[in-house]
Amino acid sequence: MVRVENISKTLGEFFLKDVSLDVGDGEYFMILGPTGAGKTILLETVAGIYPPDKGRVYLNDRDISRLPPRKRNIGMVYQDYMLFPHLTVEQNIKYGLRSRKLGKQKGPQRVDELANLLGVTHLLHRHPGTLSGGEKQRIAIARALIMEPEVLLLDEPLSALDSETRAKLRKELRRIHALTSTTMIHVTHSFDEAFLLGSRMAIMNHGEIVQVGEPSEVFRKPNSKFAAEFLGVTNVFRGESRVDKGIAYIDINGLRVTSTDNREGQVYLSIRPEDILVSLSPLESSARNSFQGKVQDISDAGIIVRITVDVGLPLVAAITRHSFLDMGLQQGMNVFLTFKAIDVHIF
Amino acid sequence: MNTSEIKGYHSALKIFSRLRESSFKIITMTFGLVLAVFIVALLIGVVTHTTPKALLESLLSGEIQFAIRLSLITSVISTIFCIVVSVPAAYALARYNFPGKNILNTILDVPLALPPLVAGVALLILFGTTSFGKGLAEAGIKFVFTPLGIILAQFFVNMPFMFRVLRSTFQGINPRYEYVAQTLGSTEAGAFWRVTLPMARNGLMAGSIITWCRGIGEFGAALMVAGSTRMQTETLPISLYLNMSCGELPLAIASATILIVISLISLFIFERFSGFARVF
Repeated sequence: MVRVENISKTLGEFFLKDVSLDVGDGEYFMILGPTGAGKTILLETVAGIYPPDKGRVYLNDRDISRLPPRKRNIGMVYQDYMLFPHLTVEQNIKYGLRSRKLGKQKGPQRVDELANLLGVTHLLHRHPGTLSGGEKQRIAIARALIMEPEVLLLDEPLSALDSETRAKLRKELRRIHALTSTTMIHVTHSFDEAFLLGSRMAIMNHGEIVQVGEPSEVFRKPNSKFAAEFLGVTNVFRGESRVDKGIAYIDINGLRVTSTDNREGQVYLSIRPEDILVSLSPLESSARNSFQGKVQDISDAGIIVRITVDVGLPLVAAITRHSFLDMGLQQGMNVFLTFKAIDVHIF
Repeated sequence: MNTSEIKGYHSALKIFSRLRESSFKIITMTFGLVLAVFIVALLIGVVTHTTPKALLESLLSGEIQFAIRLSLITSVISTIFCIVVSVPAAYALARYNFPGKNILNTILDVPLALPPLVAGVALLILFGTTSFGKGLAEAGIKFVFTPLGIILAQFFVNMPFMFRVLRSTFQGINPRYEYVAQTLGSTEAGAFWRVTLPMARNGLMAGSIITWCRGIGEFGAALMVAGSTRMQTETLPISLYLNMSCGELPLAIASATILIVISLISLFIFERFSGFARVF
């Protein structure tokens, strides 16, 4: 579908270095990377905003490297919406109709359909300046979809939104993808998003693609120190969850973890290292999760010390240097790890 | 000293120190105030120099009527030319990076720094003495000693004002609006026309107002190129100059009054349309 071959591009302080990607038809592809990794220029190069310095872009095996954006049929949605402030919501959505020539009847009909799909019908006569972030992003998506693009590029579409709106719009994106089966390439720096939306993902750093694969695979087997650190793959596990009376019991390799997040079936769970208590003897506490294991690894990073304890799974706990010294922890020592069900995050 | 004397002494000290503390504020404010009074007094002095009746008569005289009409026509036309030329130039210098960009920016500002008389002489030499200018004149496009010369002079001297306001306006518009428009089927020019230009509306208004206002008041360069022929190249400032030099005070004051009114209105509109005043 979309094939990027050995693209290099320098634009001020941002750059791409020999980037290759292959995104399949109808795929929801995520690109994950820190700020300044070159994610946006990659999207803009695919959209045709700039010609690449080197390399080619193919759409359905057709070389589109030198085509202007309007001839590519690739849609673009930016983090800060870029709604035209001098136009109403309706005029924004139908901006692209002029070049599509759908006719007097079909055009307005299409606007209505999209406004409906994204739930912005009641906003059609407003101007963008008065709308909330979530509303603006819905309109930006509708505006891009009116072109019936073969590929929709989303540049951190959820990053500027509050967490509730973000969760809602994330579901919406999944629904739109299912409904329209448009190929989506979605750039983000949040791995929750990558996990929840992506069928595959690429990790980018310093203008290069570091790793490509299914999210679970990339999380399980990061192929580089950067990938592992960036993903923060400490304490991410996959397991089978069963909910009983508001508490989820997740079995991971014979280990049972409880969580207050209610989700059943195959799930991922994560526990932040700083939410895990380390003690030399079992703790009497309200925390629902307590495990015993041997200290496997100690990594000293100044004020915070991270210790890896094998409790059947390698669990990483972060403690202060002070308590580390107090307990006199050493490799091979037996310790107890305790954490609350509320700190177990399921996704 | 008894207690009440000491108290009195202390409170006197306090007042004194407060005065000292704010004396800086008072002094600086006084400067501002004096300046403002000076300006207002000057303007009132001009407007009230003759009787209202004499002023009205002068305003209705054929000569002033001619000057008003000529000033309006030339300034509107020169402003339109400024817009037509500055819009693309300002856009290019706001959006694109290319070698020599800084030099180009500086050169485009030169007319701003040049004394208008010098600008006028330069225009006169180019259009009056060179074969280029003579060729144009033979083709019927005469600038020297004609109203066309007034338009030319106004255009040349005021173009940088339009250019600078527009450049900073375009710089303030995120190019991604155009990128999105291009993915929605627009050409580069189409995206500019349908998105950037409407978004630059306020800057365009502010720039037009200031350019027009300065066009109305343009004297030095216009005098050099078009001369000062009564009822021919007599704009309001030229009329003011002509009538002052031959002692027709009421007529001169009529011109001055109109120029004052136009300036005040323009200033008011300009301020309304922009925080763009900062460009200068």
